[in-house]
Amino acid sequence: MKSGPLGLDPELLNACVSCGLCLPHCPTFRVTGLEIASPRGRIAAMNAVETGMAPLKRPFIDAMAECVQCLGCETACPSGVRFGRLMEDSRATIAHRSGLRALLSRAFGAIAYRRLLPNQHVLHLLSWVLLVAQRMRVMPKRFRSSVPRLTRHRLRRTLNVTVGGNPDVWLFTGCVMDAWLQKTHVATAAALRSTGVRIARPDSRAGCCGALAAHAGRRDIARSLAKSVVAAMPGAAPIIVNSAGCGAALKDYGHLLGDADAERFAARVFDISEWLVAQTASPLATEARTSIVIQDPCHLRNVQRTHDSVRLLLGGAFALLETNDDGMCCGAGGGYAANQPDLSTKITKRKAKALRDAGASTDVAVCSSNPGCTFALEAAGFKVVHPAELYADCIAPDRGEPRNG
Amino acid sequence: MLAPRFNTRESERARAEPLELSLYSRDAGLANGQAGAVCFPRDASDVAFAVATCKKLGVPFVARGSGTGLAGGATPLDDALVIVTTQMNRVISIDAASRTAWVEPGLLNLDLTRAAQPYGLHYAPDPSSQQACSIGGNVATNAGGPHCLSSGSTTAHVLAVEAVLPNGEVAMLGSTAPDQPGFDLRGIFVGSEGMLGIATKVLVKLVPNPPQIQTMLLDFMSIDEAAATVSAIIAAGIMPAALEMMDSRITAAVEDFVGAGYPRDAAAVLLVEVDGLSGGVDHQASLITEIGRAHGAREVRLARSESERQLLWKGRKSAFGAIARIAPDYYLHDAVVPRSKLVGVLRTIYEIADSHDLTMMNVFHAGDGNLHPLIVFDRRVIGVWERVQAAGTEILERCLAAGGVLSGEHGIGLEKRAMMAQFFSEADLELQARVADALDPHGLANPGKVLPAGFRCGEVGINRTLPEGTWI
Repeated sequence: MKSGPLGLDPELLNACVSCGLCLPHCPTFRVTGLEIASPRGRIAAMNAVETGMAPLKRPFIDAMAECVQCLGCETACPSGVRFGRLMEDSRATIAHRSGLRALLSRAFGAIAYRRLLPNQHVLHLLSWVLLVAQRMRVMPKRFRSSVPRLTRHRLRRTLNVTVGGNPDVWLFTGCVMDAWLQKTHVATAAALRSTGVRIARPDSRAGCCGALAAHAGRRDIARSLAKSVVAAMPGAAPIIVNSAGCGAALKDYGHLLGDADAERFAARVFDISEWLVAQTASPLATEARTSIVIQDPCHLRNVQRTHDSVRLLLGGAFALLETNDDGMCCGAGGGYAANQPDLSTKITKRKAKALRDAGASTDVAVCSSNPGCTFALEAAGFKVVHPAELYADCIAPDRGEPRNG
Repeated sequence: MLAPRFNTRESERARAEPLELSLYSRDAGLANGQAGAVCFPRDASDVAFAVATCKKLGVPFVARGSGTGLAGGATPLDDALVIVTTQMNRVISIDAASRTAWVEPGLLNLDLTRAAQPYGLHYAPDPSSQQACSIGGNVATNAGGPHCLSSGSTTAHVLAVEAVLPNGEVAMLGSTAPDQPGFDLRGIFVGSEGMLGIATKVLVKLVPNPPQIQTMLLDFMSIDEAAATVSAIIAAGIMPAALEMMDSRITAAVEDFVGAGYPRDAAAVLLVEVDGLSGGVDHQASLITEIGRAHGAREVRLARSESERQLLWKGRKSAFGAIARIAPDYYLHDAVVPRSKLVGVLRTIYEIADSHDLTMMNVFHAGDGNLHPLIVFDRRVIGVWERVQAAGTEILERCLAAGGVLSGEHGIGLEKRAMMAQFFSEADLELQARVADALDPHGLANPGKVLPAGFRCGEVGINRTLPEGTWI
């Protein structure tokens, strides 16, 4: 069977038997109850377009845009449907169709994904503009949950790590993490150094992993960013990532770039918790067991599938509280909060309830290892910490300015 | 013509866009229909409004929950209005002392059990699709599940139903009383597959979580030995909480998904669960082990932790979905045979599949003889669908000949409607039709399901087709 207007692999599409076991694991289905907002419905819609039963325009395009790409459906699917591939392929076709709307969206994508995110200087400058906008209360509503409360303290560059060279392990710093979550990078560096390795961060070529571009269907941009990231971290040293979304993207470079070098690169990538658990012989053990609520970022749980390592890493030192929602998405979804503010808000509300039911409060923090989730949950009123920060605080309670690696 | 009427209430509560409608043309079964419009009520008054509107216009309507049904029960025919209950998904109240809960029909089965967890209670019927299927659908099909072996199917757990009847009125069937005076209309409603109205509120029984549970996995080198073990366990006077069987192909597919340590080389495995007080559980487990060994069980594995137990069950409950790892389509049957006939019937089922050159798998509730023969195929292969249907019919006929029944828990829906006459006498069917006619004289409530053609008096109006574009 040949593929149709979307260019999807018919075998991937046919793997869905419409059993519906994905429905409860889909955040947009959960908050709308609509079949078209469910993985099964989206696959049926893709099928309809592929077989010419429905046109490749709205409402199909809207339906594809409404997906958070959390891939909770992939984890739940007994048939192993590769929903993420199908969605990215569909979005790639949608992004490259003709027409004014697509052209404008391509132009926006080119600026945001190619010029803005990968360029630390531009991003830093923009951060100050956003800070001013926040102070003047002129921040557009749709960006409120995807940009954290910016302060001079937050924007201070405190990470002290060698750039480039020939380290034992690379610390991938990324775009938004580097701009707005320096404290996480500082803690990650401390945690890595505690295992006795020399670390370095890549130079400016590794400014952005390209995940947001790939999710938006801009594989062309994602590929060129990926090539640049690969070039910035040569050698065989492991690459440590503390953002779940970036880690998932880097681990997928083999598929994205489709060559053996990229495969080898992807095999060197580890999430920080995954790596620390593998390195440290004895897990943390302390007397005072502070409670924290674990939030699994979707790209750690459903893509990297290494979310248990966070529990292994912290279980000895903290009382881990779990949500009773099968690790449902928080609604942040990279650019999703800005693109689909209404749905995103509904999903975040649902997550917030699950987190509060699990015990999260002003005293009990939520532990998350993804910047998007962190910002959305902060905006929802939670105190959010990264596993690396908790770990670093345990091994060096009074850690000051880190040594140079 | 229909959609605009809903638009006057609230636009997002009704849709008639063709792509979106196409997504409601089928449930998880194989039959395709065509929806005329779809609406999303939020409460009983919305449902009553939708049903009354249908009555006024003479348009059929079909209720739909999560769309996980396998018999085409929620497949809309003749441009019916699909009334989707997914937005009516609240737990209204839980009465822990009397162990009951009022819930809305769109609530997912597993979410009900989750809501009951803090009280040490759960909702006993647990269809394999329990994480996704809704209580409304469970009531409509009188759904079963592995744990219905000891606790009974849905009807044993529903005390009362508030329903919108086909005339648009809201009625309460049953009550909190253990034995309601008058006719047991609740009993008639449960399992009526949407043909007597639409449930808008359900009063369910909750049961206490057992103090101890032991889940066991027995594996066999032949299907006959496994089937004989099932009979022997029940014959020994043991009533396990659940007694499930999977054959080798299913076991391998499931293991690929869950990695629970299911033996890939066994011809069949039995998943047995016993629960109750600890002394009794241990005793039953050792008796089952003995019986299994006496019938040739190669290994008897006891789940050592709750997570191991959950993983084994996840495997069993994902079985239908997991078969897409083998072929893209499946036809899942649902029939019941007396336990004592299991060995012979199973053998015949495999022979029938072989004679049609089809791949057959079996995964089922062995304890109550509820078979789920599963034919996997690829519908793109020319001529295969005809063979699948022929084999399916032969299998059901063989089950009936062995003293079985047409359906254990999935319902009749569209799928087995034509076979009803092989199982019921004309008088039986007429009686059922008269009940339906009494509540639904115009034949608008999920028409064309369950009862074979020719029995309902309202049928004249059913199969008319409306001019194209009527709804949009």
